[in-house]
Amino acid sequence: MKFLHTILEKQKPNFEKGGKLERYYYLFEAAETFAFTPPTTTGKKGVQVRDAIDLKRMMMTVVLAMIPALIYGIWNVGHQHFLALGQPNAELIDKVLIGLQQTLPIILVSYTAGGIVEVIFAIIRKHPINEGFLVTGMLIPLVMPPAIPLWQVALATVFAVVIVKEAFGGTGMNILNVALTARAFLYFAYPSDISGEVWTYVPKDAATVEGYSGATALAVAAEAKFEEGAAGATERVSEALTASVANWNGAESMFSEFNMFMGAIPGSIGETSALMCLIGGLILIFTGVASWKIMVSGVIGALVMGGIFNLFGATPFMAMPAWYHLIMGGFAFGIVFMATDPVSASHTETGKWIYGFLIGLLTVLIRVFNPAYPEGIMLAILLMNVFAPLIDFYVIEGNKKRRLKRATL
Amino acid sequence: MEYVNIVVRSVFIENMVFAYFLGMCSYLAVSKKVSTAMGLGLAVIFVLTMTVPINYGIQKFVLEEGALSWTGVEALAAVDLSFLQFIMFIAVIASMVQLVEMVIEKVSPALYGSLGIFLPLIAVNCAILGSSLFMVQKEFDFVESVFFGFGSGVGFWLAIIALAAIREKLQYSNVPAPLKGLGITFIITGLMGLAFMSFMGIKL
Repeated sequence: MKFLHTILEKQKPNFEKGGKLERYYYLFEAAETFAFTPPTTTGKKGVQVRDAIDLKRMMMTVVLAMIPALIYGIWNVGHQHFLALGQPNAELIDKVLIGLQQTLPIILVSYTAGGIVEVIFAIIRKHPINEGFLVTGMLIPLVMPPAIPLWQVALATVFAVVIVKEAFGGTGMNILNVALTARAFLYFAYPSDISGEVWTYVPKDAATVEGYSGATALAVAAEAKFEEGAAGATERVSEALTASVANWNGAESMFSEFNMFMGAIPGSIGETSALMCLIGGLILIFTGVASWKIMVSGVIGALVMGGIFNLFGATPFMAMPAWYHLIMGGFAFGIVFMATDPVSASHTETGKWIYGFLIGLLTVLIRVFNPAYPEGIMLAILLMNVFAPLIDFYVIEGNKKRRLKRATL
Repeated sequence: MEYVNIVVRSVFIENMVFAYFLGMCSYLAVSKKVSTAMGLGLAVIFVLTMTVPINYGIQKFVLEEGALSWTGVEALAAVDLSFLQFIMFIAVIASMVQLVEMVIEKVSPALYGSLGIFLPLIAVNCAILGSSLFMVQKEFDFVESVFFGFGSGVGFWLAIIALAAIREKLQYSNVPAPLKGLGITFIITGLMGLAFMSFMGIKL
């Protein structure tokens, strides 16, 4: 690494004030601080910063935490592809290759499109290149369906980075979660490409196996109906889940609880596996990057709302065991990686409990009540992003009042 | 349960600000501080809860075709005064706003000062007139119109304090100079509308 450092140091004068490449200083700075910790240290007097972790290291931790979900997602894209084609016994390597073929371009497009926008803004607005994009550029592919057209990925990324982040001044200043807004933008702009049966990559001319539906677990659960004389309400959803794949070749038990937890089900690239999200979540909690309070309260919120629906039990979806909500769809991914975004989440400690709890609650509420959206986590998080500053405001007001009371005593 | 539905629908699903984009002027102008926005929001809740039922009465007993038949005069029974709808509704709203203005000036001069011109301007806030017109269009009865007025007010209040909290947080953001002020507020409003899409399509 020493030689890289020497090269960078040699080039430095060119980029500094008065150098011929002065305009591109922030490009240089980004490359330098990406590879090495910044050369500046705090002054001899005053507060000393002793921790080596800076924003770039922190963002890299999040990217690392996403790697398990990504790797699993790559395998799962291939796995679902071969299931749909009726070849459940395909080789592992073939599945991974198909997965890579679908996933890598999306990641590349997302990083390139977002990266170009970042660089343009950094040069024109003369601010350092934002580290936040390391995470956003990885989050966006993970919440996309595997068969998404690439130009849409690029468009959504550019929209999210420009409108949601750069218009507010860059990393750390945005109101909404950038990656989720990209997803929401596509959802409302091109609904047909991001809903329905896009969750499995099937080539246009390929024949799918008989009985193949491509629906996600949530879609199947939402459509489950009571039948006269059939089993009790609680079993209806699991029956519907089994029935929906019963006549697929080799996929009989696709929506079993184990599979939904492991993630071998159709869905966005990175969201299917609750296990991998759990691993990522543990990494984030133990490194102290993400707030465990948000994750825990989010899970509690979902379980409480699911429990309330269980009491009513008017439809099979309501009567479904509450913990199913945790392993279906993108709940695990959203609550671990999206809701805990330190910028758009609540900043106060009490606020985090309220914020997470309401996300869990709203997710289940939207899933069960709103026929327009089978998945609720995306909009629940965006909505709570909007209200997070308000929660913070009142938590702080409450703190002030309490302290004033103490002071006057 | 039916009344709860009306309130929930008018607060979240058919939010005055995010679903119809009504009442934008005071929404954008008085959302710099949470405390002021809170005052305006509460004033709007009060005005809406009062005016929508009153306008219901006026519509039912004065304006509608055949509404005057309760007088017993045959000539009046055939009269259709609905062309006076706008002006009558506005008159009711304006008098209500006058009342609120006097109360606020007496109770909290500080809030009165910070609301400034936007307090009397509630009278021409389109969310207020809009609610009365929606009430007619949706054919609510008296009790329903009370709940509808209250719900619409709460929807506006929720929107404006959320925006105010965001704008207070935004003081630490580095917004590009051309977008400072109203520009970025419009963008925020759009993004908030996107988030509020989560309720669109819920059938109660």
